[in-house]
Amino acid sequence: MEDYAERIVGRAIDLGCQDAVADVSVNRSYQIRFAQNQIVISNRWRETTASAFLVYKKRVVASDIKDFTRLDAQVDNLVKIAKASQENPDYGGIAKGPFKYDRLSVDKKIVDLSDGYDHVDAAVNGALEEGAKECAGSFWKYDEEHYLRTSNGVNAYDHRANLYLSIRALVSLESSGHGVACATKLSQFDPEKAGHKAGKIAALAKSPKSGEAGKFDIIFDPLIFGSLIDQVGGHAGAWTVMAGLSPFAKKVGKRIASEAVTLIDDGSADSIGRKRFDAEGVPTKRNVVVQKGILKTYLHNTSTAKKFKAKTTGNAGLVSPDTHAMVCKPGDWTRDEIFEECKDGLWLTNTWYTRYQSYVTGDFSTIPRDGIFRIKKGEVVGTWKDIRLTDNLINVWKSVEGLSKNVDQVQWWGEVYVPTFAPYALARKIGITRSAE
Amino acid sequence: MADLDLVDFAVDYAREKGASYAEARYEHQIEEQFILKNSVLDALYHGEDSGIGVRVLAKGGLGFAATNAMTRTDVKALVEDAVKIAKAAHRKDPISFAPEEPVVTNWSVPQRKKLSDVPVEDKIEEILHVDREVMALKFKLVARYFQQANKQIDKYFVNSEGSKIRSFSPRVRMFYFLTLQHNGSAEQTSQNYGWSGGWEAMDELRMRERVIEEAKSMQNSLEHGKKSPEGKMDLVAGPQVTGIASHESCGHPTEADRVLGREASQAGKSFITPASVGQRVGSPVVNVCDDPTMEHGIAYYAYDDEGVKARRRYLYKEGIINEFLQNRETAAILGTRSNGAARATTYNVEAIVRMANTFVEPKDWGVDEMVEGVKFGVYMKSFMEWNIDDKRYNGKYVGREAYLIENGKVTTPVRKTVIELTTPTFWGAVDAVGKDLEIFHAGFCGKSDPGQALDAALGGPTMRLRNVYLR
Repeated sequence: MEDYAERIVGRAIDLGCQDAVADVSVNRSYQIRFAQNQIVISNRWRETTASAFLVYKKRVVASDIKDFTRLDAQVDNLVKIAKASQENPDYGGIAKGPFKYDRLSVDKKIVDLSDGYDHVDAAVNGALEEGAKECAGSFWKYDEEHYLRTSNGVNAYDHRANLYLSIRALVSLESSGHGVACATKLSQFDPEKAGHKAGKIAALAKSPKSGEAGKFDIIFDPLIFGSLIDQVGGHAGAWTVMAGLSPFAKKVGKRIASEAVTLIDDGSADSIGRKRFDAEGVPTKRNVVVQKGILKTYLHNTSTAKKFKAKTTGNAGLVSPDTHAMVCKPGDWTRDEIFEECKDGLWLTNTWYTRYQSYVTGDFSTIPRDGIFRIKKGEVVGTWKDIRLTDNLINVWKSVEGLSKNVDQVQWWGEVYVPTFAPYALARKIGITRSAE
Repeated sequence: MADLDLVDFAVDYAREKGASYAEARYEHQIEEQFILKNSVLDALYHGEDSGIGVRVLAKGGLGFAATNAMTRTDVKALVEDAVKIAKAAHRKDPISFAPEEPVVTNWSVPQRKKLSDVPVEDKIEEILHVDREVMALKFKLVARYFQQANKQIDKYFVNSEGSKIRSFSPRVRMFYFLTLQHNGSAEQTSQNYGWSGGWEAMDELRMRERVIEEAKSMQNSLEHGKKSPEGKMDLVAGPQVTGIASHESCGHPTEADRVLGREASQAGKSFITPASVGQRVGSPVVNVCDDPTMEHGIAYYAYDDEGVKARRRYLYKEGIINEFLQNRETAAILGTRSNGAARATTYNVEAIVRMANTFVEPKDWGVDEMVEGVKFGVYMKSFMEWNIDDKRYNGKYVGREAYLIENGKVTTPVRKTVIELTTPTFWGAVDAVGKDLEIFHAGFCGKSDPGQALDAALGGPTMRLRNVYLR
């Protein structure tokens, strides 16, 4: 595979390109989807993809190549396209290698895992034991190798393998809960716990009544808090800021969250998002994005860093910077203390469909799903349904008062795009709306 | 193109290995994207995605495997994977497919101007031109993002029942995102248009005029916009609002796989159950259709990715829940036939139940007539923020371009009008449906795991809703 990467870079340079990057990835992932407590389909992939990034006189072309029998012809075509394209004056080059990388290894037991049926059974049985009637979800074994070459001296290899399971448990259509399990080591993978969590929430959420609009203190479960963390990470990308798609423009050095909040993007830490390098080959590292509520940096590749007179943060994607894995620094509250401090509010366990009216102001709404619980004096006193969190992203973050000591690694379809370490959180006076009568 | 005999071979070999049913889908997709950010061509993407996906039924289980290595050895290994994982499912209720007749055909979407004949320079110039014209308005457009995207999709589908279908589907998209400031306040818009066909899309979609009109309406809204009134009033909803409501609160809840719980963990379930067919969810003037055969709709197709002939589906008919979107798997469970709704984004994912071009069927009202009949209300032409719960019952659409209606006349712009209503309340309030059908608002519909963001058209005519709560 390194030969393919070498060939793409070499040929592009021979044809006149100044910069070239090729990341050849070999995907051997496997998935089991289940619904109604049974397996509905199993999927297996055997794919090799070369992601290429070529620059001719600041004319940038990106591509994914799948047909390796026509590799040279496709590179020739990409260079031809680059030559016909327009100059990007904002283009600032790619990082200068070579770099030293941490020695990372994958758990061979995960690589050798040939199926995941026992893990699915463990999750489903865990939920059923709690009283769930119906379970659906996915088990994933991710197994990907990356061979990266750049025209600036990078020659790197990474093997990424991990396990993931997502389970939604339902007692009825409106009584449901969600749990996830993430692990980079087979011995740490606990789908049963995810099943129990989903089942427990579903059982507790029985007979919900329509919720009310107003301002409420909110206890965020790690899954929904992970979604809010994901929103910060996604909007901290420098490219996103430049495109008008972020509320964080001109806010570096300013408060965007309460003092309780420190958020870090860290592709180098042990998580299912761990990777040795970004798309330019820059070693991933710990980047403090928000420190005690103050926005410290945007996430950069080499080009955006030059534009903002900063240094690359090692977050290059093929074209624009990406987050790798977000970490919320734990607080000093126990989970029980967070609940005790909520005298009159709600406990939200999951959400989806987060959308913005204005990205520059951060006005948004998101729809809690799965268990929504009315909390009084720290105790669950009822179950709600049919509400919407309608507020402003920065306001929500400024309203965070306390975080739990323990964090869970979460990732979820559609809402928590990158792996995120999230605690329980308590936020004050958050806007809730509902459908009109 | 790869050796297509391998596609036939994959199906034959799967049967030999014990599959009771097998299908193979080879796809070759050429995709271009031109990304213009703040007048700078940030990047140009040109990719060729190609490979084969094999889906089999064996011992009542379903297995799918995909590769881009188109050799006999690789395809054999792929088929063996698919059969093995299908057999390992050990289901209590075996999966089966509703019957279909085999089909042998070719279909393609005509292009008046072939995408492959249009030079890269011309495609870039098109978005640069739009950007120059909108900047010439001299508004304070502080951020501009345009994305012009083209796809050329070749497919070859074969199944073990004798179907062999080749197809070619070219698609054109134009997406733009604008941020306009005035006196310290900002307005943003996000618009996405799509077309099945060739480069003639640029003329047909009138992108230049649309972007100019949009920027002017944003400036007008910032200069003259008032706070939207709160309370019960009439609403005139433009085609874009009608389209999103059709997609979110009609198309999605009538997807049979969602109704049956197959998507429960991801895109969710539905307030509709199999027993809901025949129940009222809207007023008698409401017909919501999903029709893959709408000419030039971005989601046009003649046969779906299970080889079933496409047809118009009346999801809500005269306000009654009428029909679900079905593939062969859901149809078998519900004792009916597929209506051709199985689609996949690429070769490497299974085909599942999807919407295509979803819209409210037009009637005979003019927009002016609808407005004339409103004493006090809001005319919402477009939206920005929107979402809906995972059972598709509580929808929200927040106005981008909206105006007050006073005594039958459209008057001043109003900002951020909020429609937050249940699905039956929304559709039950419709008393008039216009004749101004638009089908070129395009979305990426998200569903499944791994996620499949699929081309979908969201359209409709203008509609009038009586006495709904707005804020």
